[in-house]
Amino acid sequence: MIQRILFNSGLFKIDVLSSLVLLGVIFFTVLILLYSIGFMRGKPGRGQYYTYIILTSLASLAVCLTNNLVFLLVAWGFLGITLYLLIALAGPQAREAAKKTLIIVGGADALMVLAAAIIYCLTGTLEMDKIRISLSASSLLPVLAYLCLALACFAKAGAMPLHTWIPDCAENAPLPVTAFLPASLDKLLGIYLLARVSLDMFVMSRTMNMFLMLAGAFTIVAAVMMALIQHNMKRLLGYHAVSQVGYMVLGIGTGIPVGVAGGIFHMLNNAVYKSCLFLTAGSVEQRAKTSQLDALGGLSRLMPLTYISSLIASLSISGVPPFNGFISKWMVYQGLIGNWRLANGKWEMSVYLLCLVAAVFGSALTLASFLKLLHAVFLGQGEVLSKRQVREVSAWMWFPQLVLALLCIVFGIFAYQVPLKYFIGPAVGNNIEFFGLWAPALAAILLFVGMLAGLLIYCSGNIKQLSRRDKPYVGTEDIPAEARPTGTEFYRTVKEELGVLRGIYRKAEAGAFDIYHQAKDLIFGVTNFLRYLHNGVLPTYLVWCLLGMMGIFYLFLK
Amino acid sequence: MKDLFYYLIFPGFLFTGALGIFASWFDRKITARVQWRKGPPLLQPLYDLIKLLGKELILPANSSLWTFLVFPIVGLAASALASSIIWLAFLFPEKGFVGDVFVVIYLMGLPAISLIVASFASANPLASQGASREIKLLLSYELPFILAALVVLIKAQSIKLGGLIFYQAVNGLGIGSFSGAIAFIVALLCSQAKLGLVPFDMAEAETEIMAGAYIEFSGPLLAVFRLTKFMMLVAAPLFLVGLFLGNVAAGPGAFLLLILKYLAVVLLTVLIRNTNPRLRIDQAMKFFWGPVTLLAAVAVTLALFGK
Repeated sequence: MIQRILFNSGLFKIDVLSSLVLLGVIFFTVLILLYSIGFMRGKPGRGQYYTYIILTSLASLAVCLTNNLVFLLVAWGFLGITLYLLIALAGPQAREAAKKTLIIVGGADALMVLAAAIIYCLTGTLEMDKIRISLSASSLLPVLAYLCLALACFAKAGAMPLHTWIPDCAENAPLPVTAFLPASLDKLLGIYLLARVSLDMFVMSRTMNMFLMLAGAFTIVAAVMMALIQHNMKRLLGYHAVSQVGYMVLGIGTGIPVGVAGGIFHMLNNAVYKSCLFLTAGSVEQRAKTSQLDALGGLSRLMPLTYISSLIASLSISGVPPFNGFISKWMVYQGLIGNWRLANGKWEMSVYLLCLVAAVFGSALTLASFLKLLHAVFLGQGEVLSKRQVREVSAWMWFPQLVLALLCIVFGIFAYQVPLKYFIGPAVGNNIEFFGLWAPALAAILLFVGMLAGLLIYCSGNIKQLSRRDKPYVGTEDIPAEARPTGTEFYRTVKEELGVLRGIYRKAEAGAFDIYHQAKDLIFGVTNFLRYLHNGVLPTYLVWCLLGMMGIFYLFLK
Repeated sequence: MKDLFYYLIFPGFLFTGALGIFASWFDRKITARVQWRKGPPLLQPLYDLIKLLGKELILPANSSLWTFLVFPIVGLAASALASSIIWLAFLFPEKGFVGDVFVVIYLMGLPAISLIVASFASANPLASQGASREIKLLLSYELPFILAALVVLIKAQSIKLGGLIFYQAVNGLGIGSFSGAIAFIVALLCSQAKLGLVPFDMAEAETEIMAGAYIEFSGPLLAVFRLTKFMMLVAAPLFLVGLFLGNVAAGPGAFLLLILKYLAVVLLTVLIRNTNPRLRIDQAMKFFWGPVTLLAAVAVTLALFGK
């Protein structure tokens, strides 16, 4: 009976892709709730916090299950509101970020309403599984509808140019909220909808695929370049939350099974390691009472479990084999290479090459930025902090971190046996064709054996006095405390000494590439002009009236 | 079991290590001849290793001990795996072992990552300084190197190493075209930087920051790093041979030819190292992201036009 009402009415539908996202939503909700027990202890506004988290989770489930565009719009909009409320919970300093988020996400929702209207005009139905629109260059309306939907997904997932709310939100919102929404749930939902729209509802054209790929490639590199120069741990992670979306969009844009599967797999992997990273950042912030990289350091000895989780997640996101981030990126690369054979002329080919180079190079930049994070937070010299008695967080908090770190390893090493077989493969129709070769299980075994061999070399050496410790050597001098490198200056060369990049960085820091800033400037410019006209001085108004009358008389009496 | 043999004995760990020791001697001998010195005996690098193993291990205070101890062997394992993959692509190009070109590129990055993380753990400001240069160097050579590798991938339409070698067996060496020759020069410069040899040794810079990233490592730890370097001295030039000068090395004659090609690439590397002064890190970044990347882009464009 219930099943008939729910599923036969066309309001709800469940398939492999949506059940994958559904599982992800539930899994992350549970982990975040566990973590929040530790994190929110003794903080004000706990009742509201848990209510909003659960409401968010319910709305996300509705998004996954629905088959009706209007219902989707309602649930989607509801998510924007709960996100706004959750960010605003952090207190007065978060209000600006919350407003920005609401305006960007809400504005993108408006685009989605427009898209739904166009789709209804074109097809006469709102049931998503009955919609199949072909995108050809000659007709404008389908392209417009697709672009509107894609932009809504971009805003939710955080692809450029609608990404600017994520770093602000990451910096200000309570950390479990960032780990829950921008890092995992919004990625799952945004990319889910993008996949649903691009694979099922529209028949993609080459041009549209190229648009997606270029948007993805640009997002990867531009966002990670911004991440390189951040001084705040949370903001740095926020830029990576943007950059990783690029790989997913790029993967879905390739349009061939291995690339699409890579994109969706990357969505899952990213949710795992990115929320792990945000959770560890939350633990660090809770214990050290700061998230400024300059004030942290040497925490690996004080918070070993958090350190290990963070290390594994950092290596995963940087695409170090055999962790999970590597294999999904590698699948995206193959999606691009698979397109070489289909390439139609040199220009198309050069687009694929450009995207491939951006993706591989972006991964190196990600690595650089995470090495800096590891140095500044967990390694390096940290005498500053040990005095403050930082200790490991409670089990409520380290347990979810470790679970996620473990998943990074399992999804990496047993990629073919678990996620690709049960989740990703069925979602793209089980016809993934690999062009390359990667045997993660064998590689992991061999690496392990190699490490044992290395251990043998250690043991054959002189290691009797493992207890002999000495001060770090800097030419027999004591190291002055102010000479402590924290890591924030590592990439000053990139930021300040390379001509073209220096100019771009200056502009970016001034907000020149922030669509929110630009739109705000535009709107204030228009209102300032109107305000200038309405200055409240009666003679001015009279002059305007007279001028207007003259104009009208001239028109009528001409 | 067979895979374990490949990895540990031949052509992996043991063989690559031995060849690396030989290559290191070759490097030192040539350097000595360039400088009108006599040079060390053949087994000198091995003696150095054994000597290091016997030296006392001193751990820096306030360091992250486990990271400091574990990461050196991670780098060792990864360099052995990368070289096994490359060797086996020459020996059995049709079979394929563990990974393709992208896997090899990523695995060859792991020794650098291990060095960086381990030296971060040593809590020494000079180590941090050196390691930060190492990261920036990694960033700089990665971009042109990918482009140079793409030249070959575009031509062969394959991303398996064995496929590349087959392609060259049928269609002539990768270096034998305009684009291939340019790409080879670019890749050679990148491999120079990957090996941390002059003029790109600013991460160690003995005279400036006292071996930088390596400063706190002593005894067996330093020996492991040394061995990793030896293996990379095999893996990186050999990868270039695979991309640009590949031949199927099934019989003993072909294998000897392969070794000779490898030694030729090492010779080029050694000559570059002996005729150039050290660059600053910002100069290296400008060099790699400027002219070298441009050159690589030209090579890719030529390859697109089939030249």
